[in-house]
Amino acid sequence: MAAEGRIVWVSGPAVKADGMASAKMYETVIVGESKLIGEVIRLTGDVAFIQVYESTSGLKPGEPVVGTGNPLSVLLGPGIIGQIYDGIQRPLKALSEASGSYIGRGITTTPVDLTKKYHYTPSVKAGDQVQAGNVIGTVQETDLIDHSIMVPPDHKGGTVAEVVPEGDYDLETDLVTLQDGSTLKMYHRWPVRKPRPYKTRYDPTVPLLTGQRVIDTFFPIAKGGTGSIPGAFGTGKTVTLHQIAKWADSQVVVYIGCGERGNEMTEVLVEFPHLKDPRTGKPLMDRTVLVANTSNMPVAAREASIYTGVTIAEYYRDMGKDVVLVADSTSRWAEALREMSGRLEEMPAEEGYPSYLASRLAEFYERAGRVRAAGSPDRDGSVTLVGAVSPSGGDFTEPVTTHTMRFIKTFWALDAKLAYSRHYPSINWMNSYSGYLADIAKWWGKNVSEDWLSMRGEAYGVLQREDTLKEIVRLLGPEALPDEEKIIMEVARMIKIGILQQNSFDDVDTYCSPEKQYRLLKLLVDFYNRGQQAIREGTSLAEIRAMPIIGTLLKARMEVKDDEMEKLDEIDNMMKEQFKGAAEAKVRN
Amino acid sequence: MASDTLERTINKILDQTQERISSELDGALAESGKTLDGARAGLEAEYDKIISDGRKEADKIQKQIVGSSDLEARNRQLLLVEEAVDRAFGEALGRISDMDRDDSYAELVESLMREATDTLGSTEVVVYTSEKDRDVVGSVLNGFSGSQLADDTIECLGGVRIVSTDGTMTFDNTLDARISRLKPLIRKQIAAKFGVVN
Amino acid sequence: MGGVQYSKIAEIKGPLVIVDDVENAAFDELVEVETNEGERRLGKVLEVGNGKAIVQVFEGTTGLSVSGTSARFVGKVMEMPVSKEVLGRVFDGLGRPKDGLPDPIADKFLDINGAPMNPEQREYPKDFIQTGVSVIDGMITLVRGQKLPIFSGSGMSHNILAAQIARQATVVGTEEEFAVVFAAIGVQYSEAEYFRRTLEESGALKRSVLFLNLADDPAIERIITPRVALTVAEYMAFELGMHVLVILTDMTNYAEALREISAAREEVPGRKGYPGYLYTDLSTIYERAGKLNGKTGSVTQVPILSMPSDDITHPIPDLTGYITEGQIVLGRDLFRQGVYPPVNILMSLSRLMKDGIGEGRTRQDHSEISNQNYDAYSRAQEVRALAGIVGKAGLADVDLKYMDVGDSFEKGFLTQALDENRNLDETLSLLWKVVSNLPRAELTKVKDKYVDQYYQGSDE
Repeated sequence: MAAEGRIVWVSGPAVKADGMASAKMYETVIVGESKLIGEVIRLTGDVAFIQVYESTSGLKPGEPVVGTGNPLSVLLGPGIIGQIYDGIQRPLKALSEASGSYIGRGITTTPVDLTKKYHYTPSVKAGDQVQAGNVIGTVQETDLIDHSIMVPPDHKGGTVAEVVPEGDYDLETDLVTLQDGSTLKMYHRWPVRKPRPYKTRYDPTVPLLTGQRVIDTFFPIAKGGTGSIPGAFGTGKTVTLHQIAKWADSQVVVYIGCGERGNEMTEVLVEFPHLKDPRTGKPLMDRTVLVANTSNMPVAAREASIYTGVTIAEYYRDMGKDVVLVADSTSRWAEALREMSGRLEEMPAEEGYPSYLASRLAEFYERAGRVRAAGSPDRDGSVTLVGAVSPSGGDFTEPVTTHTMRFIKTFWALDAKLAYSRHYPSINWMNSYSGYLADIAKWWGKNVSEDWLSMRGEAYGVLQREDTLKEIVRLLGPEALPDEEKIIMEVARMIKIGILQQNSFDDVDTYCSPEKQYRLLKLLVDFYNRGQQAIREGTSLAEIRAMPIIGTLLKARMEVKDDEMEKLDEIDNMMKEQFKGAAEAKVRN
Repeated sequence: MASDTLERTINKILDQTQERISSELDGALAESGKTLDGARAGLEAEYDKIISDGRKEADKIQKQIVGSSDLEARNRQLLLVEEAVDRAFGEALGRISDMDRDDSYAELVESLMREATDTLGSTEVVVYTSEKDRDVVGSVLNGFSGSQLADDTIECLGGVRIVSTDGTMTFDNTLDARISRLKPLIRKQIAAKFGVVN
Repeated sequence: MGGVQYSKIAEIKGPLVIVDDVENAAFDELVEVETNEGERRLGKVLEVGNGKAIVQVFEGTTGLSVSGTSARFVGKVMEMPVSKEVLGRVFDGLGRPKDGLPDPIADKFLDINGAPMNPEQREYPKDFIQTGVSVIDGMITLVRGQKLPIFSGSGMSHNILAAQIARQATVVGTEEEFAVVFAAIGVQYSEAEYFRRTLEESGALKRSVLFLNLADDPAIERIITPRVALTVAEYMAFELGMHVLVILTDMTNYAEALREISAAREEVPGRKGYPGYLYTDLSTIYERAGKLNGKTGSVTQVPILSMPSDDITHPIPDLTGYITEGQIVLGRDLFRQGVYPPVNILMSLSRLMKDGIGEGRTRQDHSEISNQNYDAYSRAQEVRALAGIVGKAGLADVDLKYMDVGDSFEKGFLTQALDENRNLDETLSLLWKVVSNLPRAELTKVKDKYVDQYYQGSDE
């Protein structure tokens, strides 16, 4: 029996209603005359505390509240890809059809077009046993996505009585009828706050390649892993996240704009359909889902948007796909929690955040992973979670950053100082870390080059030495260093410009293949070793600095395309020639 | 409904006064046009004087003078329209105040009473009205059990103001209050009749 | 239907009036608070329920008493009457005429809170606005529909810069109508007057609307001022098709008014006593900038805020920076040296610049030459710091050239007269002139073809 109560109190997104004794926790309710959508977040006696996902302006005590009997759920089926949703899976396009340029209230829509027909190819036949998670057929959702139709994870299973023949059907068609009379359609619903079940979980050993050198080469993340990218404003957080969403080698990308700028979502909408996936040549929008709850949209729906996004990600994971979920920004999500907690008058912990902030973050990041999906046939998929953090004042000791660091394994620390000097991406190489390096080194060794790990180690060594030497230079000036150390400073500068920096707005530099990443790294490490040797043999640092090869090395990231690796051979030869020339000049003198 | 009666009255009065005020307005507009022309003439003299000071400066001053005289003319027009609106309004109010206290007026008062008690959610109220309306109001109170007419009267054109018996809630449904609530909309209608609202 | 007047006042604290036995009031509803003497003040409902309504009074509660006050719930949210005739007008901080002229005859009455733009209906901003201020056009490009604040400190030249932008801003090659909406939020009379005069002198007053809440006006009114200003701006942009530049000064005063209300409600504070929802609240102002599909006009915002103690990590600039599409930061050092405009470019940024510049919009080499200047100026600062330790004599030759870059950038490029309106080609040539102090090999951020075309230095 659905609860039917009355509003007794309204304050912003928080509403109390009485007569709600039969309501359940996290049940979706319809609030007020204008039929706003809300969710029960606390029950005391017959009073329900409700967070409302739409603006409550004009709402009055006395208006009705009606329970739906269901928890907040998303609809999962073909048609999700390419959509832009609000925090509770309402398509923004449908909202604009209902209310124009601005977001109206009380609008009900379906998340996907249930009347659209897809070509269904069954993979079961009458008499087959099916159980939760089994694939019962496929449809082609977009050029990039073959979409498995699965038995819902909470389904009890049964024996197939009848299957429709291969052909075009809409989402409401009963594709499979079981002997108990129950039917399976192309879609099902799943509550967002409940992780979808899987069979087994694997260690993450395959890198998620993003085409970003500082990430892939220095601080990699694995498929099924977790990463966090904290940074003050202006440090290029959003650009870095957009780069990951564009170039990551996953089959599906879920991008959650959680309390961020409206124009950023528009940018994705405008740009992605024109950008081609570097591996398939198809538009990036054909593999992307956007969940947009911008900063000025209702704060409670911001809280829900994270769960909506991750549930969609798990659904595609269950088809055996690698999914990347980018959440920008988890800090705004935490603030939404804080705001609701404040209105509930809960006892606050640090900086006003609720005491359950850490456990909520942990639950969220725990939904990442590389898994074997439930049911048959065997499918392995992954959800990689990348969360942005917007620490207030750029202070990494604030609660959201510190708690997040406990639950993630890759940390890309953005640095305002680097950003101010236009070093982008402004990922600080001394403060960042990756817990996946050892796990994924094998992949690089096998697929790119045996000595990848040692090359990375040498280059990183140079950066570490530079960090210490910098202190000496700051105190005593650069002339206090001998040439062998000065060249470390020089090569570190070259690594920063030639590898760590990457111009996401340059057509060539925006994406860098693993092969090119390795080759650039090797060229600079070679330069370093040759330089050291030349200095030992008496060449001066000034002579090395004057080598034209330096400029060429630094511009190679922009001037050499991914399919022009032979040009890097030429650069390699030029470098050898110039060092040889320097050595011969020495002998002649 | 009450507001319809009111609007009909106002509209009728407006039609009568519109033509007269329109012609006055036309005269005023012509006058403000003259102001603008005068300013332009002044500008030319000014322009010659400073041409040697450089074109940039001249442009600036030209913009400034044209800008402010345009603005001045416009503002004068706004004031004229407002004056016209006020006059139309004043006449309308006068006519309402002089309205006959006949049967249809009693109906109007009753509907105002009903609306007011519905809003307060109770008929147990004290009713205030003007000296002139005491009798009409008294005659309709039978239909509102628990209501009583206050001993004091209030200054108003007509209608009622009701107060809950504990004195904490008041609802003002006098014609004055209704008109002031409607005023922004009525102003727009009047101004539209003069063709100054796009 | 609203309109009931309640006279049982339970409590008055700070800017809040708490009304008892209220049966018919809605969240966010407009309230008229009336004193015994018949004085009326406006307010709105912050919280309602269990027979109580918490009302925030915009004009303050000074002089109100528990026994002599009543509150009338108007039955609608606060609205601003709008029409084309608001151009050339001056209003107070609540949108009431302040110029002796009558109320605008409304074409429409609009909810001053606006509604969130549907991101799917936004048009991505990319029309370059030429401000004629080199540092903005060259390095921190502004585009139509952007929100780009000026982060300043007390006493610096932010208002002068904003006024210069308002006077000079054009979109090259178009004749579309544009307008300026200026909202003074708790600023001094002289600053508002400077702005009014500058608009008048440039002849722009007739396409401007001014909202003035001055330093001695009620503080809580400041919550409303930016909202009425933006309501008018949205109307002109999206109903009348104009390009509207909105200047909000000073947003720090706005945030302080918000803090005052939060304190009176005894809410759990976030950082520095500001409410935890400051970010969300600010976003409901800043996010009203933009362009919409199928509409000609645009709303571009240049909010100004003075950073308390020049501290960019203070919650107000910090949260603003997370919402706006970049920031123009004024530097105290440059200001002290008498540089105008004293823009610290290293801390400044325009996020939408990348799409507003380049071939077909400004010039092909714009992005790269501006990156090169950022790089060079940043290096110049490092070298200056180093020179402070080891002296100029201890610097390498190339470092000395970076010192020249620093000087040339500040004196030749950044510095500009108040009435100097530079076109884009002038601005870009100046940028090339700055880096031409360097040997060619140092230009690592620019493609060779542009170096060949524009570089004027020597290869040594």
